[in-house]
Amino acid sequence: MNITLKTFATIRDVVGAATLSIELPTGARLSDLFAHLTHTYGKNFDRQVRDQLTGAYVPFLILVNTTPYRSTHDIETPLHDGDVVTIMVPFDGG
Amino acid sequence: MHKPSCTYVGYAGKYLRVDLGSGTITEHELTNSLAEQFIGGVGIAARILYDAILPGIDPLGDDNKLMFFTGPLEGTMIPTASRIGLYGKSPLTNSFFYSSAGGYFGPELKFAGYDGILIEGVASHPVYLFIDNNIVELRDASHLWGMDTNQVQHAIADELGSEEVRIAAIGPAGERLVRFACVISGCRALGRGGLGAVMGSKKLKAVAVRGSGGVSIPDMRRMRALLDDLFARFSAHPATSEILPRYGTPVLVHANNELGLFGYRNWQDEYFPQAEGLSGETMRKKIVKRDKSCFACPARCSKFSIVGKGMTEGCTVEGPEYEDIFSLGSMCGHNDIEVVAAAERLCDDIGIDAIEAGVAIAFAMECYERGLLSLSETDGLEVRFGRADLIVPLIKKIGLREGRLGNLLAEGVKRAADRIGKGADRFAMQNKGLTFPGHSARGLPGFALGYATGPRGASHHDGRPTGERTGLVKRATIEGKAEYTARINHLMVLLDALILCHLPEGIWGPLDVSELLVRCINTTTGMNMTLQQATTAAERIWNVMRAFAVREGYRREHDRLPPRFMEEPIPSGPSKGMVITRQMLDAMLDDYYTFRGWDVKTGIPTRQKLLELGLEDIAEDMGKY
Ligand code: SF4
Repeated sequence: MNITLKTFATIRDVVGAATLSIELPTGARLSDLFAHLTHTYGKNFDRQVRDQLTGAYVPFLILVNTTPYRSTHDIETPLHDGDVVTIMVPFDGG
Repeated sequence: MHKPSCTYVGYAGKYLRVDLGSGTITEHELTNSLAEQFIGGVGIAARILYDAILPGIDPLGDDNKLMFFTGPLEGTMIPTASRIGLYGKSPLTNSFFYSSAGGYFGPELKFAGYDGILIEGVASHPVYLFIDNNIVELRDASHLWGMDTNQVQHAIADELGSEEVRIAAIGPAGERLVRFACVISGCRALGRGGLGAVMGSKKLKAVAVRGSGGVSIPDMRRMRALLDDLFARFSAHPATSEILPRYGTPVLVHANNELGLFGYRNWQDEYFPQAEGLSGETMRKKIVKRDKSCFACPARCSKFSIVGKGMTEGCTVEGPEYEDIFSLGSMCGHNDIEVVAAAERLCDDIGIDAIEAGVAIAFAMECYERGLLSLSETDGLEVRFGRADLIVPLIKKIGLREGRLGNLLAEGVKRAADRIGKGADRFAMQNKGLTFPGHSARGLPGFALGYATGPRGASHHDGRPTGERTGLVKRATIEGKAEYTARINHLMVLLDALILCHLPEGIWGPLDVSELLVRCINTTTGMNMTLQQATTAAERIWNVMRAFAVREGYRREHDRLPPRFMEEPIPSGPSKGMVITRQMLDAMLDDYYTFRGWDVKTGIPTRQKLLELGLEDIAEDMGKY
C-alpha cells in the first residue's frame, strides 16, 4: 500500500522533503512506518523522534489523515492505503 | 567570626536592599528557613514582597518594590541555570508578577556575591545601580535617560570601561510608564507584566553588574556526576539536541498551526492557511545567520537574524521567538517574517513586551474593523488586519505613547477596552489584564484552566500547553485536568524558584516536580530535600502568590477566559468546533480549588491549607477576606 508522509522541521531536513510517498506492506502499522524511516535514514531519523538514552519515543502527535495518535500510546495503529500521515514536531517546550 | 544565617551552599547568602529615595544601600542575609521553604527566585521574592508591598498600593507609585533575584543553581554549569527573575506588583495586572530572562545577568549577580536586589523608593533624578563585586553605588543617569535599551547598555559599558559588565535596562517605554514596558538585558527580555514601567516610575534606568567570584559547591564529585547525567540527557533528547538548536521556538508555528491551535486575527480563528511564511523553516532559510545560547546551556535555541529587505533592511535581531511571530505576525493577520523580525527588534529597543504589543495591535485592528474605533481615534490610520506595513510604526507609537492610539494601547488591552466602551471588552483577549500568548485555550482544556487560574493572568508559563499538545495526556477532555494543571503549576513554579529555563521541560518534568530537580537542588545546596518537600515548597509558593492576588481583590470570578473562548467555537481548521464553555470552565474550577484546598465558592486558600503549608501569618490575613 501507499501512504503520503508530511514532515516538518528537523524531520523534513532528514528526509529531504515536505511530503513523501512511501510504499509499505499491506497491514503495516505506524510502528512499521517508523521502522521503515529509521531503516532508510538511519540514526539521523531516530535522533529526531526517540530519546537516545532510553530508546523510547518522546511524546508527539502523529496525524493519520486528520485523526491524532500519540507516539507514546498509539504506535501500533494500523495504516491503510492512501493514508496521509503527518508527524508533528517532537518538541515539548514552548 | 560572623556565622551566616544561610549555611546552604550554592546561595551567595545575601541580597542588596537599595532605597532610591534616600540613596541607602544595605546588605541583608538569607536564612536557612527561607531557602528551605521558598528555594530561591520567585519563591523567595514572593515571600519577601508579600510582606514588603502593602495591599492596594499604586504599582507606579512610591510604595511599590521591585526585586531582581536568582536561584541557588545560577552560576553553576547545570544546563539553563542562566536566568534572572524580576518581581513586583504589576501595573498591568495589579498583583504580584514575575518575569525571567536567560542570558548572563543572573550568573554575574551571583559572581558579584549577591542572590538578588530589592529596590524601593523613587530617585529624585534618573540613576543607575552599579554593582562591582562588593562596591555598590547609585550613579547619575540623566545623560542616559531617553536612550533605547541597546544604546544605554553600550553607553554604560563604555562609561565603566568594561565589556564584562552585564546590564539590565529600560528603554523609552519604561520611562513613559507604558504598562507593559519590559527590561532588557543583552537581547533578552524580562518581558511581561510591565515591571519596566515600575523601574521607570522609580527613575532607575538600569542595573549594571560585574562579578569576579564563583559559586561554591558542596561536593564536586557529586556535582560532576550530576552534570554528566544532565548533559547526556540534553544531547539524547530530540528537543534539546536537534530541534531547539536548529529552529528554536519558531518550530512551534507549524506544531500549533497544523493542529489548529495557532491564534490568528485576534483569535477569531486558530488556523492560518498562510502560516508557512512565518514558520521556523522559512525563518531559518530567510533571515537566521547563527545560533546563540544562554550561559551554561547546550541547546542554543536563540537565533541571530538579519532582515534582508524592505524598510527595515539590515536590521539585526536576536530572534524572533515563536511568541513574537504569533503576536506581531499571525495575530495581526500577515505572514511576513521580516516585518516580525524588525518589529521584535523595535520592541526590544524601545522596551515593550512583544506579546502584549502585538496583541494590542490586533485588538485595535478588530475594533477598527468593527467600527468601535474611528479614524480620528487611530490618528488617521486604517488599522486593518493584514496591514504588515503598520506594525513597526504602531510599535513606535505605543512605546513612545504617541498620538491617541499610541496612548490608548500603551495602557494594555483591558484598560483600552474599558476606555473605548461599546462592548470592546469582548475583543480584549486577556485575563486579569495580561493578554493571551500564542497557545490555544479552546483547543487545550487543561491549559485553558491554567490560563484562567494563573496568578499572573493569561501566562503560558503557569499552566503549560505541552502535555496536551504532544499527547502525553488526552487532549479533548476536561476529566482529570484540574490535578494535571495543579501539578504543572508546581513544576513551573519550582523551575522559576531555581531558576531554570522551561523549554527543556521534557527533561525537567514534564508533568510534575521530578526527582531530577530535587537532585539538582540537593547537589548544589547540600540540602537533603525529598520529592515531597520540594513539591510542598512549590505549593507553598503558589499559595503565597494566590494570597497576594486575594489581597488585591482577585476571586473565583476573575479566574476567567474571554467571552470569545467560552462562546465561539473555533471556526475552522483541524480543531474546528472546540470551545471551553462556561460550564466546562466552572467544572474544572470546582475540581481545581478542591484539589488545592481552596474555598470552592471564592477561590481563597483555606486556613487549613495555609497552616498545613506553614503560612500562619497569611492564614491570619486571609481570614479578613
Ligand atoms: S533553552 Fe534556549 S532560552 Fe532556554 S536557557 Fe537554553 S538557550 Fe536559553
